[in-house]
Amino acid sequence: MPKLIKERVPTPERPVEERIKDFDEVNLGYTWELALKEAERCLQCPVEYAPCIKGCPVNINIPGFIKALRENKDNPRKAVKEALRVIWACNSLPAITGRVCPQEDQCEGACVVGKVGDPVNIGKLERFVADYARQHGIDDELLMEEIKNIKKNGKKVAVIGAGPAGLTCAAELAKMGYDVTIYEALHEPGGVLAYGIPEFRLPKEILRKELKKLSILGVKIKTDHIVGRTVTIPELLKEYDAIFIGTGAGTPKLLKIPGINLNGIYSANEFLTRINLMKAYKFPEYDTPIIVGKRVIVIGAGNTAMDAARSALRLGAEVIIAYRRGEEDMTARIEEVQHAKEEGVKFMFFVNPVEFIGDENGRVKAVKFEKMKPLEERDSRGKRKIIGTGEYVTVETDTVVIAIGQTPNRIIWKTTPGLKVRENGTIVVDENLMTSIPGVFAGGDAIRGEATVILAMGDGRKAAKAIHEYLSKKSA
Amino acid sequence: MFTNSGVFIMYKILEKKEIAMRNTWYKIYAPHVAKKVQPGQFVIVRAFPNGERIPLTPIMWDREEGWIVLVAFTKGKTTMKMAMELKEGDEILNVAGPLGNPAPMEKFGKILAIGAYVGIAEVYPIAKAWQEIGNDVTTLHVTFEPMVILKDYFEKAVSRHIVEPVKIDQEKSFQENTKNVTKALTAKVKELLDNENWDLVFMVGPPGDQKAVFEVVKKYGIPMKVDLHPIMVDGTGMCGACRVTVGGEVKFACVDGPEFDAYLVDWDELIHRVGFYSKLEKLALEKYMEELKAKGVI
Ligand SMILES: Cc1cc2nc3c(=O)[nH]c(=O)nc-3n(C[C@H](O)[C@H](O)[C@H](O)COP(=O)(O)OP(=O)(O)OC[C@H]3O[C@@H](n4cnc5c(N)ncnc54)[C@H](O)[C@@H]3O)c2cc1C
Ligand SMILES: Cc1cc2nc3c(=O)[nH]c(=O)nc-3n(C[C@H](O)[C@H](O)[C@H](O)COP(=O)(O)OP(=O)(O)OC[C@H]3O[C@@H](n4cnc5c(N)ncnc54)[C@H](O)[C@@H]3O)c2cc1C
Ligand code: SF4
Ligand code: FES
Repeated sequence: MPKLIKERVPTPERPVEERIKDFDEVNLGYTWELALKEAERCLQCPVEYAPCIKGCPVNINIPGFIKALRENKDNPRKAVKEALRVIWACNSLPAITGRVCPQEDQCEGACVVGKVGDPVNIGKLERFVADYARQHGIDDELLMEEIKNIKKNGKKVAVIGAGPAGLTCAAELAKMGYDVTIYEALHEPGGVLAYGIPEFRLPKEILRKELKKLSILGVKIKTDHIVGRTVTIPELLKEYDAIFIGTGAGTPKLLKIPGINLNGIYSANEFLTRINLMKAYKFPEYDTPIIVGKRVIVIGAGNTAMDAARSALRLGAEVIIAYRRGEEDMTARIEEVQHAKEEGVKFMFFVNPVEFIGDENGRVKAVKFEKMKPLEERDSRGKRKIIGTGEYVTVETDTVVIAIGQTPNRIIWKTTPGLKVRENGTIVVDENLMTSIPGVFAGGDAIRGEATVILAMGDGRKAAKAIHEYLSKKSA
Repeated sequence: MFTNSGVFIMYKILEKKEIAMRNTWYKIYAPHVAKKVQPGQFVIVRAFPNGERIPLTPIMWDREEGWIVLVAFTKGKTTMKMAMELKEGDEILNVAGPLGNPAPMEKFGKILAIGAYVGIAEVYPIAKAWQEIGNDVTTLHVTFEPMVILKDYFEKAVSRHIVEPVKIDQEKSFQENTKNVTKALTAKVKELLDNENWDLVFMVGPPGDQKAVFEVVKKYGIPMKVDLHPIMVDGTGMCGACRVTVGGEVKFACVDGPEFDAYLVDWDELIHRVGFYSKLEKLALEKYMEELKAKGVI
């Protein structure tokens, strides 16, 4: 019988006092020794049964990559290379997913060790493999081996949007021999990874390195190209054999309440884009400005809200997260909620904003909330319903960040005749991720609404396979 | 943009000249924009590695040769740095676009198209196209005397082009001087509306001046369209920095505009929002001026 070690090997983190002064990464990840120790905790459930594999949206062979580490104890290089090979079979961006996946709801949530103690720290092990490989050039080595097997097939595919969905789809297609061009609206590829998730969770250097892999695979990226304006889907269809739409859900939802356009009220997207993509926290070394006052109220409690709150804190503000439901209803990753608490973000639960109050110069000065209370009844997502109590509370502030969700951008479907979308703007696809236009596929947040990085990547992979089948059939 | 080999392709400045005081003309190679742009649309430019993204308007283009012309007014740090440091033959990092909706190409009849300061540059492609499809277009440019631009171009393109140059009073502050522009603007518009019949008024310029002109036009009940200039970041509908209230609804100027019905715009809100960063903008400019001084450039 395998011996069960209940407690997980912790990953080192930077101390709070130090990390809240900068935007550098908080969690430092495992060393080889720590990773090996954590890997020893895995019970090596059989692949056909292992619940962690089922819990992973792209079904990485988790015990398999962990085994690769354990079996090559004396040769970390070999261990990591074999482990990475196993991971890459299902996931081309492990350095990213290891950092941002909500593992507690996925692989780790399912891990059997979790029933009696801490689940195996699968995310951090995945991250370790990717980081170690990158730092030692092992990923390049593996990539070169893969490139040798690529046979160009002369067919062209356009990918719209360089977020996790588009990047994954492009990489998979390139490996199958397609000539792939990505069209990206912004000046940097990455989607939410570039403009949304801050450096302290996902260093941009890692993203850039992942993107370099794409150019080695021969993928072209045309930035500054807004599909629908610079070029339309019907036009692309004349030039390309197939198209993948991975344009995400980038349009912020704003509250329809009085005062929404007062100065000092940002959408989380604007706030985070200024900080992450434009480096406004380095103003005036960087030209893009940002204004955070003494107190920032962030409305919402998802990953976006945590990122905005922790960013505001690093700019020197007192930060309050205001959420209309309760603590257990928060949708952000547990690790990030913990980090936010440690760093001093304050929380207000069961409050729903009803009005923003401005001063005589049009700057926000307070938020009026209605106090809410939970009911026993649950909604379709299993969350407790809430109702207003008729009691109000007003909190003074000079900056508000709204992080209540995102919807798909209007440009793409407004300019693509025949593309079927739902009322909320998400694109309708069949079981092969093909849209209402033959040869045009879609995935990621563009079809799901706001979801997760790994689901977007899973869609990108699935669509690449479907595109391959579609084009193979067509030419046969 | 990245190519196959991971190399960036940038956008070459084919021509750069100062066409009037603080007005710089850039002819830029940007074939993806040139191929598609329509009157009323704009681009987002990022000129420097640490730079911000700013919206500017292509006023002329050649679809075959792949270039566009931008005219930028030297206002703050970014436009100043562009004017000071960019040379012909240089490449700039990003030109994204075209963005925004094209201006509606309809037969309105007799149109008065107004540009305050550099706003006249943005009026040019629209007025020209309106005239070409059979409208009778009068353009009006009100600005400081040394800032008159594009006069020859307008005279060729539209029925009548009126220039109202305002003298700069060196004794007075900049603020006072701009007030004189607003005065000249509203007086001239009033005169034109009193003496002739118009089917449409269109205006591009600072929101304060747009509001002042709208207050005049309103009295005559003539339809009025405006191109709005809120602060923008992405220009693709992703952030809402550019949001404006139009007819009681929140609109994003970069995807729903930039053109809107002047009668429906919440002018005071727009004016407040545009001024939000003014302190930081001043700081950035001052810091840049110090750098220039230290280098002995100025
Ligand atoms: C702040 C924040 C934090 C998050 N944290 C997490 C997390 O910790 N874990 C997690 O799993 N998920 C997280 N998410 C969600 C996750 O990032 C998304 O689900 C994921 O990025 C979706 O990927 P995508 O490729 O579908 O779209 P996106 O990442 O949104 O990428 C879409 C890309 O398409 C481009 N584009 C849009 N329209 C056009 C057009 N017309 N033409 C050309 N290009 C276009 C956009 O510029 C963008 O680059 C977070 C989201 C946000 C906003
Ligand atoms: C759709 C649109 C088209 C435009 N076309 C032209 C044009 O053809 N020629 C031209 O000279 N100007 C144009 N502008 C205005 C131009 O974008 C600003 O003058 C420029 O951004 C100022 O940058 P700065 O750093 O030099 O000045 P700053 O001192 O930083 O700013 C000066 C003023 O410009 C505003 N501003 C700053 N950054 C932005 C931004 N990113 N977006 C919008 N406004 C901003 C500020 O609110 C401030 O009022 C246009 C604006 C919009 C929205
Ligand atoms: S469920 Fe846990 S113990 Fe079983 S294989 Fe997966 S990680 Fe190992
Ligand atoms: S500039 Fe960001 S939405 Fe318009």
